[in-house]
Amino acid sequence: MIFTILCQAARRMAKSKTILVMKLTAILLLAGFLQVSAAGFTQTISLSKQNVSLPKVFREIKKQTGYVFFYNLRMLDKAHPVTINVKNGTLKEVLEQCFADQPVTYRIINKTIVVTERPAPPPVAPPVTTDTVPSTIEVRGKVLDDATGLAVSGANIVVKGSNTGVTSGADGSFTLQVKPGAVLVISFVGYDNKEVTVTPATTTLTVRLALKANKEPMVEVVVTGYQQIRKESFTGNAVTVSGEELKKVNPQNILQAIQAFDPSFQVAQNNLFGSNPNQLPRVNVRGATSLPSGTGEILTRHNLAGNVNLPTFILDGYEVSLEKVYDLDPNRIESVTILKDAAATTVYGSRAANGVMVITTKAPQEGKLQVTYNYDLNITGPDLTDYHVLNAAEKLEYEWLAGLYEPVQQLSRDDQEERYYAKKRNVVAGVNTYWLSQPLRTTFGQKHSMFIEGGSPIVRYGIDLRYHTMPGVMKGSGRDRYSLGTVLSYAPTKKFLFRNVLSVTQVEGTESPYGSFLNYVRMNPYYPKTDSAGRIIQRVDDWTIDTRQSGADQYRTETVLNPLYEGTLNSFNRTKYLEVIESFSAEWNISRSLRLRSLLSLTKRKYNTDVFQSPFSNEFYDYPADRMDERGSYYFRNADESAFDGNITLTYNRQLGDHFVNLAAGANIRTYSIDSKSLNAIGFSNDRFTNIGFANRFPEGSSPQGDYALERLFGSFLSVNYSMKNKYLADLSVRMDGSSKFGTENKTAPFWALGVGWNLHYEPFLENTAISQLKLRASTGQTGDVSFPPYMAQTTYQYYTSNWYSTGVGAVVNNYGNQALQWQKTDNYDVGLDLGLFRDRIYISSRYYYKLTHGLLADIMLPPSTGFGSYKENLGDMENTGIELNLKYVAVRNRNLVVSVFANMARNQNKILKISNALKAYNDKADQEQVSNDNLKGTPLLRFNEGQSLNTIYAVRSLGIDPENGKEIFLKRDGTRTYEWDVKDIVPVGDNTPTAYGYFGTNVSWKGFLLNLIFYTRFGGEEYNQTLVDRVENADPRYNVDSRVLSDRWKQPGDKALYKNIADLGTSFASDRFVQKDNVLELQSVYLSYDFAKKVYSKLAMKNLRLSFTMNDIWRWSSMRIERGIQYPFARSFTFSIQTSF
Amino acid sequence: MSKHIWLIISVLLLSSCKKWLDVKPLSQVSEDDLFKTEAGFEESLNGIYTRCTRTDLYGSELSFGFPEVLAQNYTFPPDDNQRYQQTANYNYLDPYFIARKDAAWRGLYNAIVNCNLLLQNLEENKSVLPEDKHALIKGEALALRAYLHFDALRLFAPSFKNNPTEKGVPYVTSVSNKVTTTLTVSQTLEKIINDLKEAKEIIRPVDPIRAASYVAGYPTDVNDVERADKSLFLQNRRHRMNYYAICGTLARVCLYMDKKDEALANALEVIESNTFPWTNSAAFIEPDPTKKDRILYRELVFAWYIEDLAQEVNLRFNSGAVGLYIENNAGNTLYETGSVGAEDNRFKQWFRLVSGTNTMDRLELQKYLRDPQTNRHYLVAPAIRLSEMYYIAAECTYDTDPALAAQYLNTVRFNRGMGVPLTISNKDELIQELVKEARKEFYGEGQIFYMYKRLHRSIATQLGGSIPASDKIFVLPLPNDEIEFGNP
Repeated sequence: MIFTILCQAARRMAKSKTILVMKLTAILLLAGFLQVSAAGFTQTISLSKQNVSLPKVFREIKKQTGYVFFYNLRMLDKAHPVTINVKNGTLKEVLEQCFADQPVTYRIINKTIVVTERPAPPPVAPPVTTDTVPSTIEVRGKVLDDATGLAVSGANIVVKGSNTGVTSGADGSFTLQVKPGAVLVISFVGYDNKEVTVTPATTTLTVRLALKANKEPMVEVVVTGYQQIRKESFTGNAVTVSGEELKKVNPQNILQAIQAFDPSFQVAQNNLFGSNPNQLPRVNVRGATSLPSGTGEILTRHNLAGNVNLPTFILDGYEVSLEKVYDLDPNRIESVTILKDAAATTVYGSRAANGVMVITTKAPQEGKLQVTYNYDLNITGPDLTDYHVLNAAEKLEYEWLAGLYEPVQQLSRDDQEERYYAKKRNVVAGVNTYWLSQPLRTTFGQKHSMFIEGGSPIVRYGIDLRYHTMPGVMKGSGRDRYSLGTVLSYAPTKKFLFRNVLSVTQVEGTESPYGSFLNYVRMNPYYPKTDSAGRIIQRVDDWTIDTRQSGADQYRTETVLNPLYEGTLNSFNRTKYLEVIESFSAEWNISRSLRLRSLLSLTKRKYNTDVFQSPFSNEFYDYPADRMDERGSYYFRNADESAFDGNITLTYNRQLGDHFVNLAAGANIRTYSIDSKSLNAIGFSNDRFTNIGFANRFPEGSSPQGDYALERLFGSFLSVNYSMKNKYLADLSVRMDGSSKFGTENKTAPFWALGVGWNLHYEPFLENTAISQLKLRASTGQTGDVSFPPYMAQTTYQYYTSNWYSTGVGAVVNNYGNQALQWQKTDNYDVGLDLGLFRDRIYISSRYYYKLTHGLLADIMLPPSTGFGSYKENLGDMENTGIELNLKYVAVRNRNLVVSVFANMARNQNKILKISNALKAYNDKADQEQVSNDNLKGTPLLRFNEGQSLNTIYAVRSLGIDPENGKEIFLKRDGTRTYEWDVKDIVPVGDNTPTAYGYFGTNVSWKGFLLNLIFYTRFGGEEYNQTLVDRVENADPRYNVDSRVLSDRWKQPGDKALYKNIADLGTSFASDRFVQKDNVLELQSVYLSYDFAKKVYSKLAMKNLRLSFTMNDIWRWSSMRIERGIQYPFARSFTFSIQTSF
Repeated sequence: MSKHIWLIISVLLLSSCKKWLDVKPLSQVSEDDLFKTEAGFEESLNGIYTRCTRTDLYGSELSFGFPEVLAQNYTFPPDDNQRYQQTANYNYLDPYFIARKDAAWRGLYNAIVNCNLLLQNLEENKSVLPEDKHALIKGEALALRAYLHFDALRLFAPSFKNNPTEKGVPYVTSVSNKVTTTLTVSQTLEKIINDLKEAKEIIRPVDPIRAASYVAGYPTDVNDVERADKSLFLQNRRHRMNYYAICGTLARVCLYMDKKDEALANALEVIESNTFPWTNSAAFIEPDPTKKDRILYRELVFAWYIEDLAQEVNLRFNSGAVGLYIENNAGNTLYETGSVGAEDNRFKQWFRLVSGTNTMDRLELQKYLRDPQTNRHYLVAPAIRLSEMYYIAAECTYDTDPALAAQYLNTVRFNRGMGVPLTISNKDELIQELVKEARKEFYGEGQIFYMYKRLHRSIATQLGGSIPASDKIFVLPLPNDEIEFGNP
């Protein structure tokens, strides 16, 4: 139907085509006429001047006609003043009058009047000698595009070292009078400059200009999100990486990849969740600037509250979440810029303290329809090299040594031995189950990513499609992403550009039904996983345990359940979200140097979480008969997130002689809200009916949960980047921010930054030396951080919804609202040096920074008689000091082979300068918990002390194990020795801060091949080896343990053992015996690619073809043996990619 | 001209920006928003009562918990599941005791800050409420503030009798993060009395409980006058700080301060209002659990509504050897069952004998027992009883009219089934009888400890001995963070 209509329309159009063309011509002519008259230009000139200089006349003519004069002032030295009186004369008439009897003449090219020296006057009395060369020669030439051979009109042809020059005409031709031996510089926007020396023999030239090589376009400018600043003149600290480069490091995870380019952008390794694809990474830039603001919860290093030090992410001008960046298709990324110091980040004001990451996506290119296609095949396999568990025979031996078969309760020695030998029989029969591999798999993930683009200079379009599956190494887990996006840009004239981007993304994350990996590590290898018929059995074993408590609690029976059984059930845990982002921008190029840009973007995200736990799950195995109807559970959560970003920016950049100014002024607003609702239900009859509707009821005492948060922010800024002769540089920015999170007394906050720089390599004394680049820079400023929950500044009430008073529902006050609450302020100081040697073949850049954060948001304890326990106040100071070093060396550079090596290192030292009384009270509470909570006894807890860092490890000093009796000897604070562990003897025993960490590697390209190797290293820090505590000393002998239990624990007097008596089932407390050196070397990435030669891909009707292969996290060496990936193992990954466009 | 326009626009823009940045939470409500409506004021007042009925305060601990333990009302098995033994031994360094008394202090002052916020907003947003309601809410909030301070004082400061010039507790009347200076015990008491008197005057003309038709009944009655009002907020006046509750509190505070005349006047005002009839013994001894009045509900001048804590209370008193109970012999001694107490309905109705197999026989408190189906009355924690008014009247009239004093005391005893009147020969005897009587009447209600303290009297132990009166026992230490962060 639609098709026929289209056909008819097309036929009708064909008929009327000629008429249409005529009409169009008329309209265009009219428009052209209107434009001219609108500009006030006429084709006739009226001039009446007495004895004025030529330039003055030129100016007048320009004013009246719009024609521009192009001349060398020196040429006019000999020109004489003119007297002219014309009324409504044509341009030609006027010009003839002016140039009569002058030593110069003119030519009109387009709207430019080029003034040239008059060709040698007719020989009146020529003193010609044969050996003199003519003073000038006429050169006729043509400028052509090297690739297409088409004429280039409007190219500048200038005699080097002078202002003399012409522009090429519509057919690309030009004529110029030059002295022999002169050098012509031919330039045009978008092309490489070309120089030609003129000799009397070469008076006819054909200049072929090559398009500017599109090699590293991003290195030239820094994208701050509001403006683009030439990197050369910028004094701020920013690292820019192109999307292509990122993909070469890690095609699956751009956050991981960025680290390799800037180690101060740190993605923390998550030892608990390993390579779980659904676990968002923890990111920080240049250390932590806020304290974990707990609600009195005791913190270990594993549960360090959330992402408090997260940088701000800006995607194409609007703020996005970490999750958005995590799920972004790397193929769509044009460039990523990390802004670090105050000079670079101040334009983000209150969001800038933790750095800013600016991401730009690829814009469609004009031209015929072009399709870029990328296919990735990603293979991941679990990495279990850090696990060393006992095998069946060893495990049973350990159990015997640990005294598990001593008589207990009604079990006599005979009973116990019978149990022992039953297991022994299994072992002898060859049962040695490797439980670790049971829930794991090798996975194949696929990604198809396609970008279709094209269009005219006026309308351009782009469509991107993605299908990306990312299964995890634990069976059933994975994260799948699908997205569709369109870009449409419209530039009706050169002055305006409108761009609309609409993208829809669907992400589905699934957790493994097999449960925590921990359960498999613990399973005893002598248990068979199936019964004789091959069925998976749920109940594997029973232990009778003497808890050594008095009364009825003394004996306890513990059932060992098979974790694999979970995998046979229909339990699920899914979180998915659907995201729609609409963004519209408009640009108005008011003049060549002045530009107004505005952007509106709207993000909507809808989350759904469904967690179903089958009633047959091990979790409900122990439920008594009267709770049978409570088995099975369902958790449902629904959240709506929306964000609106709007900004408007006016930029001005202008070269005025030696001075270059780049100025940006703008304002932005942002609102963000999240509205979530969740509920729990219990009681399922079986796991075929998994819909929440089959649930029996709500759990006892539970009610639906709802939460809503709204944040608002607005700000305006001014940023000036100035350079003089490209040598002396300065940056200045100020920003005023208002945030709904501040107290009512301080709704707006000012931020500022100042940077200076000096490009020494432009100084004469460094020219033509080995030093090709030498830049010094320094910056300072104040940025802020408001990453704390909204409403803290207000006194709020909460309702007792679940228990009404007899006279109605009641509301009670929640908190003391501190009206004076402010943002955290960070003073930044940053100095840097960039050095390039031998045409930048060696490039060194180094930075030193100091960040002082004051007004840290902290809980202040109040005397309870105020009615409140604590309130939020800006109290507490913290400093971060760091060094960053970057080295690059191009070892070989020739036609076919380029070899370069690089290394980057960073160091960040964090120090707490001042803390609040609440944190001091927290330390006491930590002491208390350390003693009373069984789970925390062997874990070093986080404590806050002035002068220490956030990474300090606190424990009791230990002298090791007494060979005499296998007990641990502790060192008290006063230096005496004791067997008794006392919480009062806890002191700082180590620091997790490495001396340095960073990446190094090499880059080899040979013909079409490219090889990239990247290593990661970290050294000089210390870490508390939790494996030694949890899996060697405090290990429950009834479950499988680390193999060091058998080899390294004390067994008999005289043993010089590292770990205490094997028969001692007591708890080991945190001591510095477990603090070890944390030195690591990893081969993070190997990348190999091959670009096919033109003759190959053009045969396939392609524009290019590249095959590549990436390996990630392949090899690792560490100075400590620690189990990594506790609940989810780490994985190695291999990716094959095909990239082509046609 | 245009200059002015720009000025106006920028001022408008700036002020609206500020407003735009004022974001209000949804799942919580900001103070400003709450007090914009009449309902908000009601909710805030209800909130104070709900807060007071949490388990750290009158919902559990202050009604059945450590003050009762300190008065030696419970027996503990060797297991001591509830961890009260050290409290009974007056070991004030015991962490369980410290946690409980600190929670009570925090809770009391948290409830007080709610009163202060409400009072502050009553002043600032006067126009939101009709005058009557304004008076009612203000009166209740003022009186509650006084009531809560009084309990803090009775727990954490020396008694007026023993040490009136010693430091009392901070009397907090404003919302701030600054600590309030602590006055002496008698100054603090003055402040409490002033607030109560002001509250009494404010509430007198508007409290529906003063209507002649308002006679305390049961919620199960066909025409329950207490729930007659259309507005839920005006129902069940006795669950809130009503006019007579204020009189009762005043009587209590004045007696504590040894102002016998004022105490008597206020006690008599409650007695003579005839709003609170004696529970007839038929209802008390009723065997049908659905018709039984266990708590002597109609005599309650003021009680905390704790319906949602039924399970919690049940766990405390009726969960066998792990609950709170009194050993059989000690219970019989307490109620003098061998002599004058043989007919005491309270012993018969409030206690159930459970014979222990390898532990001792124990008496479990039935006062708060709930029938799973229907109950004659709500589950409440008594705050002020009619009987207390009679005890106060007796104590205050003895000096002038000993016979009348004895009559007041005998009226209560008579209504509890003890028909033989007491003859009292001197003041000491009266006090002794009053203490005995109060121990029986207030068992499990958290009041008797304060009586020992008020009289600076030695505490009777379960085995018939006594623990000498001392501020070491009577004055609970302030929480550490109060000492550390306050500036006393």
